[in-house]
Amino acid sequence: MISRFERTVNYAILLVFAALVLMPLASIVAGAIAAPSAGATGGIHLENFPAAWTQARFGRYMTNSFLVTGTVLAISVVVSTLAGFALGTMTFRGSGLLFYLFLLGIMVPAEAIVIPLFFDLRALGLTDTLLGVALPQIAQSTAFGTYWMRTYFRASNRSISEAARIDGAGTIRTLWSIQLPVARPALVTLVVLLFMWTWNEFLIPLIMSPTGKMRTVPLGLAFFQGQHTVDHTLMAAAAVMVALPVVVVYLFLQRHFIRGMLEGAVRE
Amino acid sequence: MTSTYSRLSRIALAGLAAAALGLAGCTPGSGDSVDPSSSADTSNGDAAPAGGSSSEDPADTQPPAQEINTDGASMGDVELILWDQEVREGQASQFTTLVEEFQAEYPNITINRVEQSFEDLATTLALALTDPNPPDIVQANNARNDMGAFVEAGQLLDLDPYSEAYGWGERFPETVLKNSRYSSDGKVFGEGTLYGLPQVGEVVGVFYNKTKLAELGLTVPDTWDEFVASLDTAKEKGETPLMLGDVEGWPAVHVFGPIQGAYVPPEEITLLGMGNPGADWTTPENIEAAKQLSDWVAGGYFNEGFLGGDYDAVVEEFANGTGVFLMAGSWVGAVIDEVMGDDAGFFAPPPATAGAPKATTGGTSLPFSVTSGSKNPDAAALFIDFITSDHAMEVLAETGNLPILRTAELAPTTGVWADVYAEFQDVSDNGYLLPYLDWATPTFGDEVLKPGLQDLMAGQKTVEKFCEDLQVDYATFTAGQ
Amino acid sequence: MRPSLPVNRRAAVGGWSEAGRRRSNRLYHPATPYLLVAPAFVVYGLFMLYPLGKAVHLSLFEWDGMSLGVFVGLRNYLAVATDGALRASFAHAGVLMFFYCVLPLAIGLVIAAVLNRAKVRGLGFFRTVFFLPQVIAMVVVATAWGGIYAFKGPLNTLLRAIGLEALASDWLGSYTLALPAIGMIGTWVEIGLVTVLMLSGMAKISPDLYESARLDGAGAIREFFAVTLPSVIGEIAVALTLTIVAALKTFDLVYMTTSGGPGTSTTVPSYQVYYQAFKVHEVGMAAAIGVTLTALIFLINVVVNRTADRMAA
Repeated sequence: MISRFERTVNYAILLVFAALVLMPLASIVAGAIAAPSAGATGGIHLENFPAAWTQARFGRYMTNSFLVTGTVLAISVVVSTLAGFALGTMTFRGSGLLFYLFLLGIMVPAEAIVIPLFFDLRALGLTDTLLGVALPQIAQSTAFGTYWMRTYFRASNRSISEAARIDGAGTIRTLWSIQLPVARPALVTLVVLLFMWTWNEFLIPLIMSPTGKMRTVPLGLAFFQGQHTVDHTLMAAAAVMVALPVVVVYLFLQRHFIRGMLEGAVRE
Repeated sequence: MTSTYSRLSRIALAGLAAAALGLAGCTPGSGDSVDPSSSADTSNGDAAPAGGSSSEDPADTQPPAQEINTDGASMGDVELILWDQEVREGQASQFTTLVEEFQAEYPNITINRVEQSFEDLATTLALALTDPNPPDIVQANNARNDMGAFVEAGQLLDLDPYSEAYGWGERFPETVLKNSRYSSDGKVFGEGTLYGLPQVGEVVGVFYNKTKLAELGLTVPDTWDEFVASLDTAKEKGETPLMLGDVEGWPAVHVFGPIQGAYVPPEEITLLGMGNPGADWTTPENIEAAKQLSDWVAGGYFNEGFLGGDYDAVVEEFANGTGVFLMAGSWVGAVIDEVMGDDAGFFAPPPATAGAPKATTGGTSLPFSVTSGSKNPDAAALFIDFITSDHAMEVLAETGNLPILRTAELAPTTGVWADVYAEFQDVSDNGYLLPYLDWATPTFGDEVLKPGLQDLMAGQKTVEKFCEDLQVDYATFTAGQ
Repeated sequence: MRPSLPVNRRAAVGGWSEAGRRRSNRLYHPATPYLLVAPAFVVYGLFMLYPLGKAVHLSLFEWDGMSLGVFVGLRNYLAVATDGALRASFAHAGVLMFFYCVLPLAIGLVIAAVLNRAKVRGLGFFRTVFFLPQVIAMVVVATAWGGIYAFKGPLNTLLRAIGLEALASDWLGSYTLALPAIGMIGTWVEIGLVTVLMLSGMAKISPDLYESARLDGAGAIREFFAVTLPSVIGEIAVALTLTIVAALKTFDLVYMTTSGGPGTSTTVPSYQVYYQAFKVHEVGMAAAIGVTLTALIFLINVVVNRTADRMAA
């Protein structure tokens, strides 16, 4: 029997916990809409956002962020779906080795690969370009994506594709018209996770865009902070704008985020 | 049952071993692991043919000197990428104004600024300069770890030809230019080739709150002991004597610098600061100076939380009426002037005996340099000429800065700037403007001095240990020269 | 920040080709799977496997990134193990692990266990809230917490307001407190993830188990140790690997809040990689630190998962 008391305690715990999580975030949102300086009047000051946008040159950084994120997503989702499909539904020599090689990549931190990548990509003239910032992240995303899609295809109903093959559909057509529509939830999860990781990435764009041309928006915020420590409102407004795209997607697709983070790791 | 992990381990180990063994034969920098076509075409030295021969001299890898063009209108459509740290009040407005004026005069030249704070610039500039297409103009700290290292790597352009073409040698006194001179191998600092031009003069001193000083019955001190005594008075009467925000590490250098100036002979400080042999960090005078700083902390002279405090935020606090004194460089003058107006004053650290020459950290702001990789060095040099012109000095003065040239002529007659200009003149003409201490060696600032000062102030290091650590770094470096 | 995800052992065990073994007739051209894997493997090989091998290679040299490198064998690794500053950075990462892993796990387990006993409505909403810190860029988190920790910031104001003036501190400027203060940010970020993980694990426990434990007269505490804890060993392993890796890879947080200070009390390995490679031009050393970090992450994954396997068996 669960007592009324226990239920009340539970709600209390949940509320305190939620407050602790939300307070730092609320502080930054409050800062973002506060009066810019001590002299100004109270109330909500939405003009901080356009002011921070201009001063932090977010136009450029946001464009970069969307370009990088879009490129990483487009390429890695396609190639990992193909690879995951093959590894998950077909038998071939070396498939085991290939799978383990991809697994290895999930564990390798960016810190280990950025140094050699920087020198090699610079020699190829790729630093400070969209590709230079995107390619290392495409490789990381492909490692996870292949693992994720393989897991999905292995667990999915194989009879669908077998039936299709017997009907004479080619491999690609099977994948495209029969498997993918069913795989949509797994794909959405993959897309939102990769979107979040790429959007929030700091070290790779910092190093791969040495002259700053392809700096993404988290870097924009870091360098803006260095200049505007006194003006907390503008910094807070800039911070809100950096977090907003992922938070909005999260609010709509939160199940996918949570499921992806938990199941990317656990599969009972 | 073989687990995933042991299988993974075996594959990883085998792979890494193969990588280590298979590649051990080829050496990084030998050019066989990179695209050979791109390894020879850059002039910024990062791909200089390696082999330990004389061809490593970066000067050799620069293209032969071309005819210099000083006529901006004839340069065609040009885009210049500019990395600067002109982001504080005053700095920002002078620079925005000058960039706009330059663009208006030369519509064919577009300036694209990447502005960052002093410490972010310091963190990222080294990386940016290694790029085959580096920014065209950069503000490079005079320090050995910055300008010195860039010169050694062949990343900065020799400006002597431009200096001749534009007459910078006549415009600037040699005392200013020498701080941007290095030998072309980057080893000798203070003479040789010119690699940059500064815009602004700097003097590190003491800002004070006039109202509070009067309330405490104090006047501007004539001697160092008087200054220390006024800190005591302020402390006794319940005021915060000194304001400091040192989370960035470097602000404390500008507190220690003036103290050292009061105790240590200026010639010795110059040797120590420029990383040239012949001086010693463990002399009784240096220990005395470090002890003074440590005593100030022990006596509670600084604001609470100064170690984790943000520099600019604390300057703002001082301007808004907290604390009596702020030891800082003239670059914060604009912020203080805007908030405090006539209520703020400034003096250079007073000498040991009244009337003796004053000695304090100062000189010039970070010089503007042209990169070797710039595709448009003529336009870049033209821009540097423009922002250091006589007219630019007027803009600097109007927007709350201390112009390096025409200082006396442009000096304001009231407010904190009048003090700053006067003290700068006095120290330059009659005293000693000492080098920034972090210029000394490649590791001195980041690895020894800044954490060392924090250690000293937090009581993590004794005064003696602090000086010994500085000496080890300085001695190791000078011994290798 | 992209977490290095732990890989579930069960998902991978044994099953790499059973699907096809059962099938006798060829339904696709033998080259098809290779063609399908090829694009992924090419980008992955070129931009992950190759640089990883190259990092190992570079780590055996003393190289300034420009001139000819000098082969030094394992000297860089020796320096990682013996150099005071480098070792300190790994030690700091170790301290961060306590705050990123142990603390969230301890708290998360208790909260999840309490919540699991009495099912309440609206758990979905709370789950969304708890998980929120995971999706927010570390730079934003750092901006928020930097403000909170400021000497005149809300945390000290709060402490003073409730009469705990003595606890008000210069959080990010203190040799003793700066690292734990950064650690607490990690706790804040990870605790939601851990709790949600534990909740999902506990939700799968059969009510019969609790029923029989109660019939045996077990109280809430014994029930927790006898039933709940053993059932979520797998989830604990996952939580540990995720959070340990996050602790080892702290970079942007330190870059934004303390830059390694005061003194060198908050330096971390990732920051050292950047500093060594691009500030003091010790590229080989930077590579060695990166490889050491990879090896540590790998090792921890193996140890945690092996232990969990043994405990679950």
